[in-house]
Amino acid sequence: MTLLEADLRLRQGEFLLDACFTAPVDSITALFGPSGAGKSTLLSVLAGLKRCEGRIALNGRICADGAAGLHVPPHQRGFGLVFQEARLFPHLTAGQNLAYARRRASASRYEIGDVAAFFDIAGLLERPVGNLSGGEKSRVALARALLAAPEFLLLDEPFAALDGARRRAFIDVLLAAHRRYQIPMMVVTHNIDDAASMASHLIALKQGKVVAQGPFAAVAQQPQFQALLDRRDIGAVLPTAVLRGARDGANGGLWLRADHVLIAVSPPQGLSARNILEGRIAMLRAESEGSLLVTLESEAGPILSRVTQEAARELDLKQGKPVWAVAKAHAV
Amino acid sequence: MLPAAELQILATSFAVASRALIWSLPFAIAVAFLLSRPSTPGRIILDGLTHLPVILPPVLVGFLLLLIFGRRGPVGALLEQTFGVHLAFTTAGAALATAVMTFPLLVRSIRLGFEATDARLFEAASVLRAGPWDRFVTIALPLAGPGIVAGAVTAFAAAMGEFGAVITFAANIPGQTQTLPLAIYAVLQEPGGEAEAVRLALISFTVAMCGLVAAEFLQRRARKRLAG
Repeated sequence: MTLLEADLRLRQGEFLLDACFTAPVDSITALFGPSGAGKSTLLSVLAGLKRCEGRIALNGRICADGAAGLHVPPHQRGFGLVFQEARLFPHLTAGQNLAYARRRASASRYEIGDVAAFFDIAGLLERPVGNLSGGEKSRVALARALLAAPEFLLLDEPFAALDGARRRAFIDVLLAAHRRYQIPMMVVTHNIDDAASMASHLIALKQGKVVAQGPFAAVAQQPQFQALLDRRDIGAVLPTAVLRGARDGANGGLWLRADHVLIAVSPPQGLSARNILEGRIAMLRAESEGSLLVTLESEAGPILSRVTQEAARELDLKQGKPVWAVAKAHAV
Repeated sequence: MLPAAELQILATSFAVASRALIWSLPFAIAVAFLLSRPSTPGRIILDGLTHLPVILPPVLVGFLLLLIFGRRGPVGALLEQTFGVHLAFTTAGAALATAVMTFPLLVRSIRLGFEATDARLFEAASVLRAGPWDRFVTIALPLAGPGIVAGAVTAFAAAMGEFGAVITFAANIPGQTQTLPLAIYAVLQEPGGEAEAVRLALISFTVAMCGLVAAEFLQRRARKRLAG
């Protein structure tokens, strides 16, 4: 079941990357952490661009073993890597960039025409890469990585340069590609919304160390993971299927922030909010700012809500009490 | 039309310069690539050796070549015994001396071409299953193309004008080693040769200018192609 196993160390000056984790075969893993946590470095090490101590095994095959002095070079490792910048070859057209990858993947199941149509870049193949927009470059880079038929695809925030709608569109393409081509992926991000919408597995990295790993929803509730989040980003992941107004086509889940959830002690009526979920209070936690973080268990999983101490007193919120969580469609 | 004697001088110059370029280009590309990579061991020493001909007097370079490649020199004797090849006082010898003298110029230009290449593209190629040699041929060489072309054309133009090392190692033999500058020197030795010297100088000047303009033109075109 486990596809990628790593227990590796790399020292770069003061910084020490010391990561031990596994990533599953059948899903997208989010590699989450603040900037400077070593996310990009970890991907470089996995792909073989940097030597490390310790071990990396892909599909049971050893890629690196520091103790045995083994370092399989990147071109023989079977990892694909999509960089933050597209890194297209400037002396080739978009189509030649794709052909470059396809030619070297003898066992590739994919054909250029098919992949180009899927990524909606069939019309760009004749263009020199200097003439492509940012979004187009990202899609060509992703298509190129897929055509190399990697056993495992690593993505280093390939949408970092995109904003708003183009970013959403790119994530949708990424999810569709994952479903269609069945390639396991690990995606670096420091954006919790992106992570929740893409990944079903989560690895959290802080100062070079893995502080939490496992299924997304479970890891998302761990205190050491929540500690990585900005105060206003604290929340929980919910499957999009249970939410009304969630974007069509979104995979995985949706990050619902505690600040966007109201609590009612009786079934709410006459509200404009589109999402009302019934649950029971599982935990109350006082925050340093004087607010309370309420965890409630619903059928869809845990939901977090942030309330004031005063509201908690008035509503008599306590463990085990049945409540209704209310979220505006706009928050999802 | 130029008289036959001047045509022969020009032909000798072209023969010497083109041989010098063809022989030295592969070495220059290899050395330039090694010099462009910070990880190359002994880079400073290699850099120093490459630039020696710039600093040494050309006559000394010619003399060193005679010591090494002359009939009694270690390499020269070996070449004669094994292949029956003479270098000293032949067109091939003139080409060798020219190649040594223009080598730093060639390496410098090609090296700039390699250094201008974004090294991150090699990482991108390696995760697309391209091995080191593959990356060199398909990424490094084409991207350094403008530098290689410019270096080759400038070195060719400079090769037409090499003097000191050539006359020392290959002598001044009409039809074999007498290139343009050597011919100018020869006619200046004779009384009343100034007019002929001026004619040859004009030819030399024209060839050099054509070379420099061609280098600039080719480099611009190649850059434009790369920029898309």
